[in-house]
Amino acid sequence: MIERHHASAAAVCAVALAAAAVAAASFSAHRAPDVLVPGAGVTEVRMLSDWFPGLDGTPGDTEVYVLRGAEPGGSMLVLGGTHPNEPAGYVAAALLVEDARVARGALYVVPRANASGFTHNDPQEGAPTGFSFPLPDGSTRTFTYGSRATNPVHQWPDPEVYIHASSGQSLSGNETRNLNRAYPGREDGTLTERVAYGITRLIVGEGIDVTVDLHEASPEYPVVDAMVAHERAMPLASNTVLGLELQGIGMSLEPSPKNLRGLSHRELGDATDTLAVLFESCNPSQGRLRGRTDEALVVEGKDPYYLRAAALGRLYVPFDEGGVPLAERVGRHLASIAELAFSMGMESEDEGLELSGVPGYDEISELGVGAFLSPAPEAGS
Amino acid sequence: MTVVYIAIAAALLALTVWNLWTERDWRKQCTAAMVAVPLLLRVLMIK
Repeated sequence: MIERHHASAAAVCAVALAAAAVAAASFSAHRAPDVLVPGAGVTEVRMLSDWFPGLDGTPGDTEVYVLRGAEPGGSMLVLGGTHPNEPAGYVAAALLVEDARVARGALYVVPRANASGFTHNDPQEGAPTGFSFPLPDGSTRTFTYGSRATNPVHQWPDPEVYIHASSGQSLSGNETRNLNRAYPGREDGTLTERVAYGITRLIVGEGIDVTVDLHEASPEYPVVDAMVAHERAMPLASNTVLGLELQGIGMSLEPSPKNLRGLSHRELGDATDTLAVLFESCNPSQGRLRGRTDEALVVEGKDPYYLRAAALGRLYVPFDEGGVPLAERVGRHLASIAELAFSMGMESEDEGLELSGVPGYDEISELGVGAFLSPAPEAGS
Repeated sequence: MTVVYIAIAAALLALTVWNLWTERDWRKQCTAAMVAVPLLLRVLMIK
């Protein structure tokens, strides 16, 4: 006859297996990539592994959307999703893929720069797995809310200390999975370093003139609503910030620190000829002072604790009852990209990039992101 | 290195399940089960 404690052990095991199965289904569902709908401006869809075959078949390989104009001109690379818990950069890149047109020059867009980071989210953050936008036709489009870092299932274990390969800089061990600490990358490095290397190869291979890395920061972080520029990109970035000010969009301009290594604006500017800049918008859903972290916070950007922090003068951005909606943050990124493209033409006529179809700051703030997204294709079509 | 870590996680999972099976106190069995779930998900490289 079976002993009593074995019977209870079997029952507990069964419950544990059921819990593991439910969790496994949820985690596995997070790995399905979002559907993006390339617009008429997209002339080619390639993979990052086209420039660095070492990424082929890995979770780090990702789509590169090319929008090439009829006339030659300058080239710009836009990186969204370097940190998949900073949704404005990802959504702004997706809108470029779906809406932008290029008359002159070439625009390269990587909406999910760290594709692995989209396959999970951070433990103990209570973040949602995704967020949705209603479209005018009544349908919805859902986007993944991921993690700041590469999935540990794809790159494990983390070292105690992360040493940036080309500089020897030491950082906390989990930064080994942070794409924006891995540039210029290594051909035979970790998955994250190989993704960074692939992006560097793309820039060198295509002779990219300007590289923009789209990010978000918490409202209590000093570098927010800001543009960080490599010293060679400073004249271009200055013109862009002035142009944005004339539109009523306040952006501060920060020089790329020379002793903070591995970041796109530092390493891509040093290792290649590209003019490297990084944009930061304000994301209340990633800050330490936030309250309940749900889809509403991600999309609407309203939080009572940030409201209180603003009243105490603890934030670096204005924050009122209206919050900082995702639509406003996406509009800020898109307006900055459009102004940067305009400024490229001011710097040199040969390097002009003529963009159209990019939703404006005011219209996207008023109409919302969904108004500029295409309906997802029916399954199987 | 990843294979070594998976092997360590698998060994830990086996010891945890063994402990669960031989433990007489159902509350400690529950504790062992809660430890086993994330280990199982990592050994299967799901999370």
